[in-house]
Amino acid sequence: MEATILINYMETSTIQNTNPAQNYRLEFFGKGSEYFSIMIVNWLLTLITIGIYYPWARAKRLRYIYGQTALNNERFHFSGTGQEMFRGFIKIILFYIVIVALYMVLVTAVKLLLLAVLFLYLAILAIIPFAIHGSFRYRMSRTSYRGIRFGYRGNRNELVKNFFKWVLFTILTFGIYSAWLQMNIRSYTHKNIRYGNVEFSNNCSGGDWFFLNLKGYFLTIITLGIYSFWWQRNIFNYYIDNMGMNKDDQKIECHSTATGGGFFKLLVGNVLITIFTLGFGKAWADMRTQRFIFDNVKMTGNINLDEIRQTEEEYTNAFGDDAMDFFEIDLA
Amino acid sequence: MSKTEAKYFDGQSSASQQITIDFDEGMNELRLQIIANGVLFAWQAKNLEFEQYGNLLEIRNKIYSGALLQIDDKGFSQSFYEAMKQNKRLDIHKRLLNFGFSKLIAIAVCLLGLIILAYFFVLPPVAEKSAALLPDSVDEQIGNMFMESFLKKSNVDTGKSRYLEQFASKLNLKNKKPLHFAVVKSDEVNAFALPNGQIVVYTAILNNMESSDELAALLGHEATHINNRHSTKMLCRNLAGYMIVSLLFSDVNGLMAVLAENAQQLHSLSYSRKFEQEADEEGLKILINNNINPNGMVKLFEQLEKEQKISIPKIISTHPLTKERKENMQKIISESVYVIKSNNNLNSIFEQIKKSNLN
Repeated sequence: MEATILINYMETSTIQNTNPAQNYRLEFFGKGSEYFSIMIVNWLLTLITIGIYYPWARAKRLRYIYGQTALNNERFHFSGTGQEMFRGFIKIILFYIVIVALYMVLVTAVKLLLLAVLFLYLAILAIIPFAIHGSFRYRMSRTSYRGIRFGYRGNRNELVKNFFKWVLFTILTFGIYSAWLQMNIRSYTHKNIRYGNVEFSNNCSGGDWFFLNLKGYFLTIITLGIYSFWWQRNIFNYYIDNMGMNKDDQKIECHSTATGGGFFKLLVGNVLITIFTLGFGKAWADMRTQRFIFDNVKMTGNINLDEIRQTEEEYTNAFGDDAMDFFEIDLA
Repeated sequence: MSKTEAKYFDGQSSASQQITIDFDEGMNELRLQIIANGVLFAWQAKNLEFEQYGNLLEIRNKIYSGALLQIDDKGFSQSFYEAMKQNKRLDIHKRLLNFGFSKLIAIAVCLLGLIILAYFFVLPPVAEKSAALLPDSVDEQIGNMFMESFLKKSNVDTGKSRYLEQFASKLNLKNKKPLHFAVVKSDEVNAFALPNGQIVVYTAILNNMESSDELAALLGHEATHINNRHSTKMLCRNLAGYMIVSLLFSDVNGLMAVLAENAQQLHSLSYSRKFEQEADEEGLKILINNNINPNGMVKLFEQLEKEQKISIPKIISTHPLTKERKENMQKIISESVYVIKSNNNLNSIFEQIKKSNLN
């Protein structure tokens, strides 16, 4: 009996392995004029509602950007709503009020200014891992492609525990460890992203990141800033080249084709567009940036995009088992 | 009734199926009929969400999350949009977007123009009126808060402050609340009034003065700022102005920064030209009422003129130019009837203030 299962398994895996390697096509179709129209409508409605519309505006903006991003000619979808983001906004305000109130109590009633300031810093620091966890969960659960949802499987308590450990190391090493702190967070969160039964992988490490930035920093100073575009390219390439996806024994690898010259053209161009249009051209600049990113990410591998199964749970009810997850909000 | 081919993702697998859909508005309500794998089911209009990308129409169902229909058919896409519109299934954002690029820009430009007009012509009077609604205790608190931190970093001349207090007590400054006076050692030619009734005069401006009339003029001017609650009015104006600006750029957290900054720099808070003029004119009236030579005000400006070596163009400066202020004073004085009584009391206190300087 066991043997049959094993054979069956081997058969299926050989079948899966026969998927030919392919190049995936990542594209961005967004147009400045369309994006600008969305921004104007957002602006009008936000103005008329004295700011309350802001979360809805944000949802519209994200939905446009996701919808204009396509992999193999199928578009991504952002299903988050303004209502959900509004709830998140209220949560942030509530939290802010509580923190400030406690701070004021410490300052006025207890008269311990030092303790109050310490409390304020700790409170802000403590929010960070919760906010990272919450926003990943929210954003991923609201992202889908071909009807299959993304998801975030990270463990909140593990992240919080590790975060404080890494922060402590950072303090003890006078900040040097912050490179590891950043990459550890990145790698932990990214490894826990799922797209149906596809798992994301990430190979970022603090050491590489530290030397990449050390080199970037000094060369930028030596070249009076000119190197900054190549530094930017190295950062982008590092992020992309260390990203990948696995499904059983099939995989997709990402690599970047961005160049320093490309970054120069993009960033200088964006500044000029924004300045010469008195800021109104920002919509076009944003679209250029998106197009640049997706034009420069190449994906190769043998995962068949027709064979993904829905695995991630649906979070339609904000008061379900995740009601405890206070920070399930959109922050990115 | 319209029938077309569509691509269907069932929300279980990423593979698509080729299916036929049909939508009929014949009945009371719009619905999509979908035939997938020989099974027929219907999606009701009230559950549908859609996006249009050129000719491509993507329809999702709020109930079956994940399920997705893709129709690449211009005719169908257009009639579906019309049907959804008639069924009032378009949100305000989609309806506005439907106006098209040029109309949207026109609306935005008109609205922007209106806001700019409001910012310059409606906001100042409204904000100033709203300042009247604030209780006096607010003025007290703002002033006390500032004075506390100001005193920490400045050098108060207690002897001169006492003489200044005496000097002021001999004048009728038309004040409704008790005024407090402090002389601060500084090379800056400056004086300012706080909303809690505190008037601060720097030693440099006192040193430049030649007569008690000038000091009376300065106190009259500063007292008017307090009597007319200029600080509180300006604070309301700055806040309201900031609210409009932040609304335009959707930035909310800068509001706190404005409050903090204004409280920090109350002494350099520039009043509007209107407020300065008001303080000049009412300060002049105070001089006349106290039988003091109104030309003290003119002399005060002459002192200030000497200090201002670089002149700022009028449009940039919120303060009216000193020269203009002086001329305005001269004009009013020439039109006024006044009696000057030599006040030895004031003169001797003024001498004391000047003299204690030598110590």
